[in-house]
Amino acid sequence: MSIALADPKMMASSSSGSSLFRHTFALTRRSVVGRLRQPAVLAPAFIFPLFFAALGSASFNKLAGDPYFTANIAKSFMNYAVAGAVLQGVLFGSTSAAGDLATDIEQGFFERLLASPISRTAIVLGRLAGSMVVAVVQVVIFLAIFLIAGAHVESGPLGFIGLIGGGALLALAMSGMMAGLAIKSGSAEVVQGAFPLVFVLMFLSSAFFPRHYMKGWYRTVADWNPMSHIVEGMQGFMNHDLNASQFAKSWLLPFCIAIVSIAFALRALNNRLAAS
Amino acid sequence: MNQAPIIATGLSRYFGTGDNAIKAVDGVDLEVHQGEIFGFLGPNGAGKSTTVRMLTTLLKPTAGTAFVAGYDVVKDADKVRRSIGVALQDAAIDPLMTGRELLTLQAVLYGLSKIAGKNRGEELLERVGLTAAADRRVGTYSGGMRRRLDLALSLVHEPTVLFLDEPTTGLDPMSRLTLWEEVKRLNAGGTTVLLTTQYLEEADQLADRIAIIDHGHIVRQGAPRELKAMVGSPTLSISVASNETDEARSILSRFGDLRPTSEGTLGVGLARGAEDVASVIRALDEAGLKVRHLELDEPSLDDVFAEATGYRLEGADAANKPVETEAAPEVKKSRRGRK
Amino acid sequence: MSNLTAEQPVNVRTISEGARPFEVVAILVKRSMIRVRRMPSAFIPSLIMPIFQLIAFSGAFGFAVTSLGIKNALDWYVPLNAMQGASFGALGVSFGLINDMQTGFFDRILMAPAQRWVTVISSLAAAVVRCFVPITFVVIVGYIGGMNTPGGPMAIVCVAIASVAIALVAAGFALGLTFRMRNLGAATLTQFAIFFTIFLSTSQVPLSAMSGWLRGVARINPMTNILRFARQGFLGDVTWEQSWGGLLAMGALLILTFIYAMTGIKKFDQ
Repeated sequence: MSIALADPKMMASSSSGSSLFRHTFALTRRSVVGRLRQPAVLAPAFIFPLFFAALGSASFNKLAGDPYFTANIAKSFMNYAVAGAVLQGVLFGSTSAAGDLATDIEQGFFERLLASPISRTAIVLGRLAGSMVVAVVQVVIFLAIFLIAGAHVESGPLGFIGLIGGGALLALAMSGMMAGLAIKSGSAEVVQGAFPLVFVLMFLSSAFFPRHYMKGWYRTVADWNPMSHIVEGMQGFMNHDLNASQFAKSWLLPFCIAIVSIAFALRALNNRLAAS
Repeated sequence: MNQAPIIATGLSRYFGTGDNAIKAVDGVDLEVHQGEIFGFLGPNGAGKSTTVRMLTTLLKPTAGTAFVAGYDVVKDADKVRRSIGVALQDAAIDPLMTGRELLTLQAVLYGLSKIAGKNRGEELLERVGLTAAADRRVGTYSGGMRRRLDLALSLVHEPTVLFLDEPTTGLDPMSRLTLWEEVKRLNAGGTTVLLTTQYLEEADQLADRIAIIDHGHIVRQGAPRELKAMVGSPTLSISVASNETDEARSILSRFGDLRPTSEGTLGVGLARGAEDVASVIRALDEAGLKVRHLELDEPSLDDVFAEATGYRLEGADAANKPVETEAAPEVKKSRRGRK
Repeated sequence: MSNLTAEQPVNVRTISEGARPFEVVAILVKRSMIRVRRMPSAFIPSLIMPIFQLIAFSGAFGFAVTSLGIKNALDWYVPLNAMQGASFGALGVSFGLINDMQTGFFDRILMAPAQRWVTVISSLAAAVVRCFVPITFVVIVGYIGGMNTPGGPMAIVCVAIASVAIALVAAGFALGLTFRMRNLGAATLTQFAIFFTIFLSTSQVPLSAMSGWLRGVARINPMTNILRFARQGFLGDVTWEQSWGGLLAMGALLILTFIYAMTGIKKFDQ
């Protein structure tokens, strides 16, 4: 795709803050368009989370008969499963987006970007912002489907925004990490190879089942897994009145991870530039 | 011997249906005699590999009949398979296996007993010079070694008819010569060989008879010497300044038929042979045309090919791999207009 | 041009008397094992995934089954993941076949005087041999995790039978699809088919714990019967009542997928 380089705005000096914004915006647009033009790649990030949520709702709904579950976790298993689906969809989407970046590197487009007067930071930020945009669309679609199916956002409109913001920040954190991996390795295969890690992060958390019911070492791992806390923040928006801890878990935590992962991605970029 | 080992009559294979059907092979008549090397010559996409795939039972003909080793390729496919050896393009060899393992596998596939298979494998490894490399994975072999192993695999069951589909494409000259020698030795032992090639020299060196195939049709068939004799006169190629081309062409046409030649040169088949060369030069000189380059060629298979098809095979993208596939057989090639 | 018919064969020097089916199957299975050994990177994920899923399912969803009276979550999930691991072997067969088609090696097999059913059986046999490795590992992890087998050794026999049957069914389906599609899409579609068939059954919880649409689908899904057959020795005694439905489902699926594979290779031949 040549959108980025064909845009005359891109050719402006890369030194100013406004040009960084323009470059990031143009590359974000390229990233989003690139994602939307690969429906076959994007589809699993929609189909599987919705399927697992539907499966979990039908399989585990009897859990809603447990007094602890209804009192402290959710009124129905479907309401519980919404946040897990959002987490799963965003993690899938972000990982496959990093695959696009690795493909850019493999096919030489990344080199073309580096050879043009574009801010280096914008190359990474554009990709991450693209993932955030896709995540926002994804969360909105997911919530619409679940609301039609009978789910309810207990925390009201602000909770709705809380879920969307949480999804976007999680996308930023995960994309940063995967983008760093893509830049460091320059291999789409390596990025694809990170998918099992995503599965581990999801399953060893409360994304699909409440931590309360887990036991032993599995529970300990889930307690320490940041994904548990992020998804529980989102579950809070779905199932409880609005409170600050929901934002702390689903916004602040991914934001902190995002700072680390963006630093990792930029460092990987610097190392690649230094090596070339 | 009751009949020729390979007989095809009206053999055709179309891909697709209706008006959009691509006629990869269209009414090929062929007869390969016992004990001969038969060259099947044509550029990429001409229909060589499709014909071979039909004769070796890998592809069912759309129309026509073919008998190989006396058996119908459709009705008696199993008997045909027992009688033939095949080395297809791109030496289809599993790179994770060793040469010896592949020979053992091939022996089992053809029903040889364990001991017979082992002995035959050793004999063939020796014959193609791969004994030392027999226990190495094929992935580590050079292109020439892979081709030789492929040849050895095709000989495991001592076939009476051997099909070699572009056996030397992509090989270096030395490997090519080695393989030619092996094919000659096999043929001397009584094996009938049908080899497809896009190399004129290969067909000239090896084949007792050749067939030229173009756009799915056989356009010439016979012994190379006979075919060259049919073209008759030698070809004189000249080059002149580009603004003098038309006048030069007009003068040359007085001495014989104009023939397609390489880019930037003009060619004429001298009707009275080499003795006309001096007359041509004189005529060009008298017209004030300056000859930059001049070459006289006795008829070659390339001339036969050019005469039959209207373009030359040499340089017609010979380096490219053929891309005849069932989904989209390629029928394009570089073409020079026939004058 | 001669217009002869094949009254008599030409020069019957050939030493080939046609392939012996059992030997062909054995050597092609051996080749499959050689490829696994020399390219472990293609096989290891199919070994790790069922073990990871066993740990993840029993760890995450354990309460959902133990609250229904099942002693240990592993009792419920070991048979499931053994069968899943077995089905991954079928995917390996599909990938291998596609690779052979793309490299032309499959032409070599087709040109040999071996009957087509032997080629299909060879691939199915390879899938069965490959599936024993993940089944064994899953069962070992189950034992380490303290799974119960009140049905005694028959519990393991039932899991093994069901897993082998699933490997054969999945491989038959994969072969049929691969012969028809001839590209990697066949492996992907097989993966989807296996995934949805397994999960739209009693994979996670018993039928009695399900609600809504899933209960309706799982009830008619033959995988539910096969899972019941595979699990019976882990939940109680092995009985005919718990077995016949699964055996019937396995038999029917085996016949159907074998026919699908055979018609596939016939189509491929044409």
